[in-house]
Amino acid sequence: MVEAEGSSPPPTIKFAYILRGYVMKNIRVVVVDDSALSVALISEILERNGYEVVGSAGGLDEVKKVIKETMPDLVTMDMTMPGTDGLECTRAVHEINKDIRVIVISSMMDDEIVSQAKRNRVSGYIQKPVDDGDLVAIIERVMSAEELFTVLKSEYFEVFKEALRDGLNRLTKTLITYEEEFLCESEYTTEGVAVMIGIIGEFPGKMLISLSKSTAHVLTTTVLKREPSGNDEIVETMSEFANIVAGNACSVLNKRNRAYGLRVSPPSVLRGDNMKISPLNYPTYTVIGETVFGKMLMNVGFKRGEIDAWT
Amino acid sequence: MDVKNVAPFMAAFNVVMPLLGLKNVSKSDLQAKGKTFKGSGIIIIVGMVGDLKGNVVYVIEKEHATKLASFMTDNATNSLDEMAKSALGELTNMITAHAATAFSAMNVFMKISTPICIEGDEIDITMNAEKVICLPMLVGDSVIDVNISFENICAT
Repeated sequence: MVEAEGSSPPPTIKFAYILRGYVMKNIRVVVVDDSALSVALISEILERNGYEVVGSAGGLDEVKKVIKETMPDLVTMDMTMPGTDGLECTRAVHEINKDIRVIVISSMMDDEIVSQAKRNRVSGYIQKPVDDGDLVAIIERVMSAEELFTVLKSEYFEVFKEALRDGLNRLTKTLITYEEEFLCESEYTTEGVAVMIGIIGEFPGKMLISLSKSTAHVLTTTVLKREPSGNDEIVETMSEFANIVAGNACSVLNKRNRAYGLRVSPPSVLRGDNMKISPLNYPTYTVIGETVFGKMLMNVGFKRGEIDAWT
Repeated sequence: MDVKNVAPFMAAFNVVMPLLGLKNVSKSDLQAKGKTFKGSGIIIIVGMVGDLKGNVVYVIEKEHATKLASFMTDNATNSLDEMAKSALGELTNMITAHAATAFSAMNVFMKISTPICIEGDEIDITMNAEKVICLPMLVGDSVIDVNISFENICAT
């Protein structure tokens, strides 16, 4: 028996498509390839599987123009093109919008080129001739991570604020009143005690709680119900406090969605005057609250992984 | 001190630095530090969690940090501005990620957090483990102190 060409896709792909229909928005794709035949073949596969092809390009200038005009969610990228290559075009895409995901579709595939692609923030790599199932699978993986990150971004800050409020209340039976909160995109200066916790999971992140030395001292005295014996006890108490806040916040987020898989690294405590904290190119949120012990600052943020679909 | 846990970081420097065009990489003698130590300049903390749990604290003196960042950005910066810190954050992120890969070859699997970057003078840094191992790496004529602390590692 001979199967007709262009028969319907295998059930797993159909399922992925149906699933995406429920949980994901329409995914808009630009196809970059200098061969009109390849553009047609890739576009046909994409459209048959429910993606919207919003444009195509065959060289660097066209890439810049089409990306600016259409702002797609995803780009499929050929590696070899006259006068340019897929890596240069990928950098051009990310200069326009660093959030656009790029998947390379190329006939060439070896360790060196794959490693170069990773360094240029390519999200996935498949070899020509394109297999329907492979392409859909890789897009699903890249874009579901994208969707998951959007959900995390919308909910994490409130969860951390609640965990800080709750942690302080449980340890000291006191309240925190949030006075100011802002998106933090540039360097800020803090002094006194700063507790840093790294967050590991589907998306890595960080949390910092900062307070003056005197606030840390009074807070520790209240927690211990006596004067701390020295700096070590203050550091230990602040460490434990931040650990409780970050641990609880990550647990709440994990309960909401197990796919986050968040875990915290042990706290590191820095003490000093004039400590300049840099956001390192990704936005974090800061909240400043007033407590009976003094002001407290919490800064928290997550970063979307650069590479999602490498196996 | 279990040198097995230092080797992945040395390996990572030897892979990452040449990729950036810095071929002259060597290490100085390991130092054992207590859980609290002082750091000045650029301090970058990266968490590592998985089969082991801990942090790596990179400490680079300002002058050396400026030189490294300037090299990494093709002289686009000659001061410790946001661009320089971002370059150093990326550098430590790459080194830690490569170290995690080297650990995985030893069947120790870990993921890493995003880096936290602090600039300051005479900062007291306290880690959560009793012992901290410092691996001073020489890159050209710059020194990067790699302070490694894992919770369940018995450093003797």
